[in-house]
Amino acid sequence: MDSIRLDNILLNKVTVNFDDRFTLSEIDWTIESNQHWVITGTNGAGKSALAAVLAGVGEIENGTITGLPKNVGLVSFEAQAELIAKELKKDDADIMDVISLGTPVHEMIFENCQDPELAHALVEKFGLSTLLDRAFRKLSTGETRKVMLIRALSSKPDLLILDEPFDGLDVDTLAMLQAHLVSIIDTTPMILVLNRFDEMPEFITHVAYVDKGELALTVDKKDESAFNELYQLLHLKTTDLQVPEADPANTLPVLDPSQPLVRLKQATIKYGDTIIVDKLDWTIERGQHWQLSGPNGSGKTGVLSLITGDHPQCYTNDIFVFGFQRGNGESIWQIKQFIGYVSTSLQWEYRVSTSCKNVIISGFYDSIGMYTKSSDNQKKIADQWLALLGMKDRADQPFNKLSYGDQRLLLIARAMVKHPPLLILDEPCLGLDDMNRQLVLALIEKICEGKEETTVLYVNHHAEDQIKGIESYLGLKKNN
Amino acid sequence: MANYFNTLPLREQLAQLAKCRFMDSSEFADGVEALKGKKMVVIGCGAQGLNQGLNLRDSGLDVSYALRPEAIAQKRQSWKNATENGFVVGTYEDLIPTADVVLNLTPDKQHTPVVTAVMPLMKEGACLSYSHGFNIVEEGMQVRDDLTVIMVAPKCPGSEVRAEYVRGFGVPTLIAVHEDNDPKGEGLALAKAYAVGTGGHKAGVLMSSFIAEVKSDLMGEQTILCGMLQTGSILCFDKMIEEGIDAGYASRLIQFGWETITEALKYGGVTNMLDRLSNPAKIKAFDLSEELKMIMRPLYNKHQDDIINGTFSRVMMEDWANDDKNLLQWRADTAETNFEKTPAGDVEISEQEFFDNGILMVAMVKAGVELAFETMTAAGIIAESAYYESLHETPLIANTIARKKLYEMNATISDTAEYGCYLYNHACVPLLAGFMKDIKTDVIGKGLSLEDTGVDNKRLIEVNTALRSHPVEAVGSVLRGHMADMKKIV
Repeated sequence: MDSIRLDNILLNKVTVNFDDRFTLSEIDWTIESNQHWVITGTNGAGKSALAAVLAGVGEIENGTITGLPKNVGLVSFEAQAELIAKELKKDDADIMDVISLGTPVHEMIFENCQDPELAHALVEKFGLSTLLDRAFRKLSTGETRKVMLIRALSSKPDLLILDEPFDGLDVDTLAMLQAHLVSIIDTTPMILVLNRFDEMPEFITHVAYVDKGELALTVDKKDESAFNELYQLLHLKTTDLQVPEADPANTLPVLDPSQPLVRLKQATIKYGDTIIVDKLDWTIERGQHWQLSGPNGSGKTGVLSLITGDHPQCYTNDIFVFGFQRGNGESIWQIKQFIGYVSTSLQWEYRVSTSCKNVIISGFYDSIGMYTKSSDNQKKIADQWLALLGMKDRADQPFNKLSYGDQRLLLIARAMVKHPPLLILDEPCLGLDDMNRQLVLALIEKICEGKEETTVLYVNHHAEDQIKGIESYLGLKKNN
Repeated sequence: MANYFNTLPLREQLAQLAKCRFMDSSEFADGVEALKGKKMVVIGCGAQGLNQGLNLRDSGLDVSYALRPEAIAQKRQSWKNATENGFVVGTYEDLIPTADVVLNLTPDKQHTPVVTAVMPLMKEGACLSYSHGFNIVEEGMQVRDDLTVIMVAPKCPGSEVRAEYVRGFGVPTLIAVHEDNDPKGEGLALAKAYAVGTGGHKAGVLMSSFIAEVKSDLMGEQTILCGMLQTGSILCFDKMIEEGIDAGYASRLIQFGWETITEALKYGGVTNMLDRLSNPAKIKAFDLSEELKMIMRPLYNKHQDDIINGTFSRVMMEDWANDDKNLLQWRADTAETNFEKTPAGDVEISEQEFFDNGILMVAMVKAGVELAFETMTAAGIIAESAYYESLHETPLIANTIARKKLYEMNATISDTAEYGCYLYNHACVPLLAGFMKDIKTDVIGKGLSLEDTGVDNKRLIEVNTALRSHPVEAVGSVLRGHMADMKKIV
């Protein structure tokens, strides 16, 4: 049997334009000749575009591609549509007054065939024998797809690109195709575009995750934890599940709609003679999403903790929050009931050994750990959140045994579980790797979708982590 | 001033010693209402003073700090603690006359001068609160008749009082009303509201008496809690060195061993701590602890007797009057022990290894807990109090040794506890000299080396039955159950 003897394919900062409809940007990617990849991502992320680039589609505006083989077999909806369009055009172009029959199936299959024996066998297996004489354009979508597959497989390609090859195939055909792919893994590198992880064949060695026209992540399947995180990310991006409802039993005092949520007047934080925050005026109106940024030491977390009541100097400042002028006999629990809060330091403080489900439920009580019996409804809501996060199977696992990223996701769910009037996300991506950053941002976007009752206060200093819908910005400077 | 306890008739002494009731959470339904809008002035801004004040303020109460003029003028740490946290700070003269509740959170030793200074400044009908009853019970402080006197004592270090509150929980807390000073009958309501303000009601509140608190607290801290751990540390370390075990290993085994083995105690009592051992090791530890109990029982009795009849506090107060001569000497001596001077070695000891190689330490904890409990209950202190002051607090003290050895333990505990700890240690080290002669590395340092780990069934059953039927286990499982109910998912 021939073994693979191709060069590695290298994409170096490649930007590709597809008729101004879509752009892939700055793709860095190495495909080694003994690897088999799956490209995955959400709808419209650029999966098919990236696969097509390897078949020479699109206009390269920047960067270089080397090592691409000449004979690339490509099966995709786009290629299929193109082929059918070409056939129909032949029809239109016919100026003679005879009825065009179009290209027959056998011609489509055998015109460029490198391995007629294989082609015959596949025609048999795909059940196309009786259709060989029919016009290609008369076939059903599923039948044309089979023709495409036979063409590609029997052309002895140096690289085989299959974009959603399993879509619409019946069970037997699917098994047959998968078995055939397995039989050629030693000779033919493959790139599969798949929406669903559970369709991924065993022989796949690597996964590329595409998001917003960028190759966001590549994962070696052997790296189990990264692979699982990618699975989770895809779940979060593609799930139809909505953010669970609040608990109707958990009612908040009604806020006066004419009052802002938060108003700081001349807020100042100082330690000894060192002034951290100097005379800050800041008002957060309901529904006005804010982004707060500034360098380390500029007092971002200090300002937030004046709002949450965690900073002792909130009693020496003029602070109005959720209807309370601070320092008039209100307790911090009366303040905290209006706030959902996530930060790295919360994660450090959240060291109690409790189950994942309880971590989410603790958001109803603003507590770290659970000290009260939870209601059935609270448990149900927590289960819905776990399903949304793709962590249903981990409901009863101890929180402190989870990965750092999974812990962060749970803490975000905890912050959101009661649908707080103010959601404070204090550098929610800090300390996370790329994968987990993607996960967290996907969750936050999901949460922010049409949740008007929650005002978001997002703190970061990474300009790239932007969240849709935020239009107000406050920048803090370092004082000294 | 005379020892207050000794002025009471026997029947009243017994009644007061026996006071201790685990309160139901429904008793705290009024929250902090009884203290709402009242002016609370804290005296002392150390770990308890600051952290209790932070909690009370975050519960919506009005808290300020009265400090001595020199602490304010010199901007001492207490002044910094209070001002940096945004509290109003003033002198006694500034703040005490306005106070509805004065919280005395200074060290025991300062109680007499502090209370003597503030009492004339306090307004008619105000409340004076303590977190330890020594001043009232042992020193016999007479408080003005119009003042209400209560005690609210969180059973954890100040830093934990704060940390648990911030998490939305609290620490177990003991409250009491000094019945001689409850003119308006509002003492209990105030004490309950105060316990809610610090978060204590979420972790469980014991309703006790000044007397039961003092007599059990003193007994626990000087015997099992601090005395036994100090004596055990010194004896076990010296034995291991004598037997040629690496000093760094020996130091680590002890410094972190107490914490590890008493963690098992915290979760499941003495039974669980011994269940962590193999069967032969368990029987060994049991036998050693029986021997230890026999040798040490007279010492525990003496400590309890001296505490009950006031000898202990009298002798300690004589040392206070003598510029702490004994205390300071003993503190210096402790710093010179080999255990204290040998840093923990850079070796990995697994959690189980602390048990396997520390059989004697397990035996010492068991003996100490059971003896302290038995002695206290024999003296009329009821089981709940005795449990909290022996078994419950042992892991807390063990944690301090893990941080910085005996120095840290003695720096964290009160001067009173430290004094009692040294007293115990000085009596106990020579008492155990003979016992220690026969000790080998199989029970401290290396663990049993048995070809055959089999045991006699009958003996094992006897040991297990004895462990499980000790009265400290019965009350412990009930109280831990209460804790677990509230702290369900910890």
